[in-house]
Amino acid sequence: MRMLKYIIAVAALLFVGYHSVYFGKLSEVRKGESGNNTDMEAYTRDFWDNKLPSSIEKAIDINELVALVKVEPEKAFAEHAHALGIGNLQYFMVKGEGQITAISDNNVELLIKGEDGSLKLRIETELVYGNSVRDASGLLNMNAFKNTSEFNEVSAGLNKIIRKEVLPPFKQKAKKGDVVRFTGAVELNSRFLKLDDLEVTPVQLQIVK
Amino acid sequence: MKQLTYLTNYNMTRKLCIFFLLICCMTNNACTDRAATDQPKKIAIIVSTLNNPWFVVLAETAAKKAAELGYEAKVFDSQNNTALEADHFENAITSGFDAILFNPTDADGSITNISKAKTADVPVFCMDREVNSTTVATSQILSDSYSGCIAMGKYFVKQLNKKGKYVEILGLVGDNNTWARSKGFHSVVDDFPELKMVAQHSADFDRNKAMEVMESVLQANPDIDGVFCGNDAMAMGAYQALVAAGKSDHVQVFGFDGADDVLQSVKAGKIKATGMQYPKIMAETAALYAQEYFNGKRDFPQKVPVAVELVTSANIKNYLSE
Repeated sequence: MRMLKYIIAVAALLFVGYHSVYFGKLSEVRKGESGNNTDMEAYTRDFWDNKLPSSIEKAIDINELVALVKVEPEKAFAEHAHALGIGNLQYFMVKGEGQITAISDNNVELLIKGEDGSLKLRIETELVYGNSVRDASGLLNMNAFKNTSEFNEVSAGLNKIIRKEVLPPFKQKAKKGDVVRFTGAVELNSRFLKLDDLEVTPVQLQIVK
Repeated sequence: MKQLTYLTNYNMTRKLCIFFLLICCMTNNACTDRAATDQPKKIAIIVSTLNNPWFVVLAETAAKKAAELGYEAKVFDSQNNTALEADHFENAITSGFDAILFNPTDADGSITNISKAKTADVPVFCMDREVNSTTVATSQILSDSYSGCIAMGKYFVKQLNKKGKYVEILGLVGDNNTWARSKGFHSVVDDFPELKMVAQHSADFDRNKAMEVMESVLQANPDIDGVFCGNDAMAMGAYQALVAAGKSDHVQVFGFDGADDVLQSVKAGKIKATGMQYPKIMAETAALYAQEYFNGKRDFPQKVPVAVELVTSANIKNYLSE
């Protein structure tokens, strides 16, 4: 009888002990605590496929933008730029067509002819990082996301799509002299304007001839 | 009967006395209240440390802006100590401060302090550093350190030509900015396998500690090519150690903050780049938000990023004249 009592006591102790603790990966627990359970890869893909095209359609021609910035910078920024917070860095979704004048490891240089002369810019082909595309789209609000890190994942996802899907076929074919049609994001500093060193993070690239 | 009349008179007199006393008290309270409304509103500026010039600028700008807006401002130094920070919050709440402009010491440890202010209906506006909660502060005006360090990472990769050994010196491990900067930087650099991080140490955003860390790292890794530091003070400390070791010509140093001495060093070619933050904009915005709160506004964005600009030898002239 006494033995039975001991067995029941030990069994009860084991039962309570087993249900009092659990083992799991610390990284998974932390992920759960931060509430970061959104499938950001799927979200980014949906954004790229279904939402970004509306922003691409509204892209301003690069010649038109540069001309407007030279004459009426405040109007250009007010009507065409997007930025998430406070500061001098603002982003534009632009489009254009130009001839390749040089190809390097990190970028392709284009010469774009316009009514007021020609314009040189670089298409980034290697270091596609940062928030240019996300912010130039003007479609996302930071405070609609659970945390900053989730919001930054959208940029990382978009850049990954560009690096994996947009750039490889272009880099494979592009050669000096080709004419390229592009759409992409440009960062401009509203306080320290510099229009002779424009760099485009591409969203669409097409060799037209 | 006479005794009864006397008693009634006594009661009447007592009642009248109490009545007049009450009137006096009410009048006194009313006078006190009126005096209170005539007093300017009080804003407490609680800053993580005043031992770093960057935070001195943040605190002084907030105080100056609050004074310009007609408020009484007082600065409290938490000395990087959450316990001291808690005392400052208690003090601010019990002393009747109407708003707190706050630079947190710890992303997790400071949440309780903000909660206490929230319970006491005192709005808290975070400046520069965020806390790991989106429900306690009225608004958080923050440097976009992550994006700033992505730009830094891209520049770092280009300067090192995508290969070499490097060291990372981190700031305070309990501060979200430390990790936002580190993660932004690594989100670029880690995609280049020939760039190898040989050491990663914290130096608490402190110049002397960074110098000691760098001296120690150089003993084990004399052949490094670059150093990425989480702030400018540490970049100056690391550079000092490299000069002492005779390696400053080869090893490229990258900072973050936009401090005056580092801007001069970028111009002189000693430091390769820094990220220009805008403490004045953050402090002024926080003071303006407090004013809007006093005027009845309640729907503030929880997080307001402030852009960080990459400063290199190519654009240094823009920033030296500021």
